Amino acid sequence: MNFLLVEKIFFYAAFGLYAAAMILFFVFFALKSQKAGKYANLLMTAAFVSHTLALVVRGIGAGRLPLTNQYEFASSFAWGICLCYLVFQWRFHFRAMGAFATPVILVIIAYAALQNKQVRELMPALRSGWLALHVSTAIISYGSFGVSCAVSAMFLLREKMSGSEFWQKNVPEGKKLDFISYRAVSLGFLFLTMVLVTGAIWAEQAWGSYWSWDPKETWALITWFIYAIYLHLRISRGWKGKSAAIFAVIGFACVVFTYIGVNTLLPGIHSYA
Amino acid sequence: MDKVKKALRFLFSMQFALVILGLFVLVCIGGSVIPQGEIQAVYESAYPGWSGLILATGLDDVFHSWWFILLTLLLCGNLLGCNLLHIRPILNKMKQKTRPLPAGEDGLVFSGDPETLLKEMGFGKWEQIDRGRYAIRNKIGFWGAWLTHLGIFIIILGFALGQMFTVNYTVYGVPGEEKPIGDTGLQLSIDDFSIELRPDDTVEQYTASLTLKNPATGASWSGQASVNHPWDANGLRFYQNSTGWAADMAVYKGEELIQTDTLCAGEYRAVEGRPELLVMLRAFYPDYTQDETGMPTSASGSIVDPGYLYMLYYNGELLGMNVLRADEKITVSDYTILFSNPRSYTLIQIKRDPFTWLAGVGGAVLLGALFIAFYLRTEEIWLMEEEGHWRVYGRSRKGSLLFREKLAEKIKEGTK
Repeated sequence: MNFLLVEKIFFYAAFGLYAAAMILFFVFFALKSQKAGKYANLLMTAAFVSHTLALVVRGIGAGRLPLTNQYEFASSFAWGICLCYLVFQWRFHFRAMGAFATPVILVIIAYAALQNKQVRELMPALRSGWLALHVSTAIISYGSFGVSCAVSAMFLLREKMSGSEFWQKNVPEGKKLDFISYRAVSLGFLFLTMVLVTGAIWAEQAWGSYWSWDPKETWALITWFIYAIYLHLRISRGWKGKSAAIFAVIGFACVVFTYIGVNTLLPGIHSYA
Repeated sequence: MDKVKKALRFLFSMQFALVILGLFVLVCIGGSVIPQGEIQAVYESAYPGWSGLILATGLDDVFHSWWFILLTLLLCGNLLGCNLLHIRPILNKMKQKTRPLPAGEDGLVFSGDPETLLKEMGFGKWEQIDRGRYAIRNKIGFWGAWLTHLGIFIIILGFALGQMFTVNYTVYGVPGEEKPIGDTGLQLSIDDFSIELRPDDTVEQYTASLTLKNPATGASWSGQASVNHPWDANGLRFYQNSTGWAADMAVYKGEELIQTDTLCAGEYRAVEGRPELLVMLRAFYPDYTQDETGMPTSASGSIVDPGYLYMLYYNGELLGMNVLRADEKITVSDYTILFSNPRSYTLIQIKRDPFTWLAGVGGAVLLGALFIAFYLRTEEIWLMEEEGHWRVYGRSRKGSLLFREKLAEKIKEGTK
């Protein structure tokens, strides 16, 4: 069985389905078509299933978890955002979130599509049980921050659309959007802490030092600091609503830089990631 | 005295914590963008006109600079002070059996069975209060932020103590060599070193078989260190850190063999009796070839056609350099130098950090604390009796919206 070919089919099917879902979500908003929203959500679920199959097939073909190079992690990153979107969508019952989550997913999966998809054997430093825990927690963390960014963007746009009946009906009130964004940040923050802790334990075994101020480590810590500031500002300054939404968007920009920017601009011992 | 109190209050405040966190963000960005630990020339070339400032302010070594340490101390002080200030209020909250009604809320009207509502909301026990009932659950949630601060403090403490007391050594060599480990008085024998290759010539694993010896007591310990699997012995941890090529160097004077040595790539030796004459094994190419620009390179990682790139120095001046093939030799005056027996050397990192466990404890506390803070939220409910019905109030500090939605739903279901 040609695993790479099967994976490719599932991957591009997912890519196409995400793109179609995004178009339908835009139709949902532009033409105020509930039907389009319903189908967009179905396409999103189908895209997620196809994307999951792509990752599973790649994992079987490679004989390991597909979490070790730019392509694999970017694909998993997009998958993580979709997973978190579906969980939050199920939990808070509003499909309009998809209109803001799909563009983020699409950009990341497009980035993945541009990467080298060749399956490579792992270098000895990556052959560790900690890899699965470290990277999978990163996927959930980044996915949650992605959802928080999408919901915050909705919050910011909702303010401008306050007169629209369609928005009133299909997009939760600002207070609820703010709360969902906060819950997404909380989940992301907990998992980001797990990323840092599991990474430190693994680094201690592989490199002989649990913290080396490598650019990737440093930027993960910067991201952690930014979200820590966000969480503290909510308590001490009552930063909710617009300010918190802007902060959540900035936080996600930092997440994206930690993933893509650090790898391309600030190489270090994490350069294979 | 008031001023001191005021200053301390500020130092222990959340506002100050925010300032410190903001500064940490800026400092970390600087430390990741500006190359760290480089020589002056690197900064002069990368930041013309700024290198002096970078070096003077410690931006070349941000994470070890005095101001970074000061910032860390301030953060520790803030965390400890904040926790000290909050311990009594938290204990008081834990002791309180009932708490006052949330101010400014109207409450929800409920006309069903109060005990059923309390149970459905997850409250097993409740207190009778004046004209009503009060229940609280997940009191541990009060400790979430406090334990989070404690976890961070323990991590920093473990890291700082580790930085102060960690001892690090490196030993490199080829199988059969025995070398001292720094000033420990211990010897490390490299018994074997193997590189496990896959069919595609990529490396599966590097494994060093080692014996640690204490010449003073005669004790010895044997074990293996491979990547991701360090070896622990006698309070030290041994890491298979890196590898490279080494070869034997033989020096003849006329026909007489006067010197043999093992050189790792990058090392040099003085010729016996001629300290001004240095031989360096600059690099080794196991499968020697040339790239399109004519530079030496290796076609594979296996020893097929060895090439030794040497450099020869006389009184500090470069006398010559070239690539020696298997049957070639260097001749200088009446000396003849040749290389043979190429093999891999291993570099072993040896470490003793008595406080790694403390940082680990801090990490575990931090994770547990964040889980408590975000997912074991303290929830409270008040049911106040009014004529013919109850008025219900609910509070959950970090999940109020969900809690109130659930409460409203249960009230709707339970109202007759």
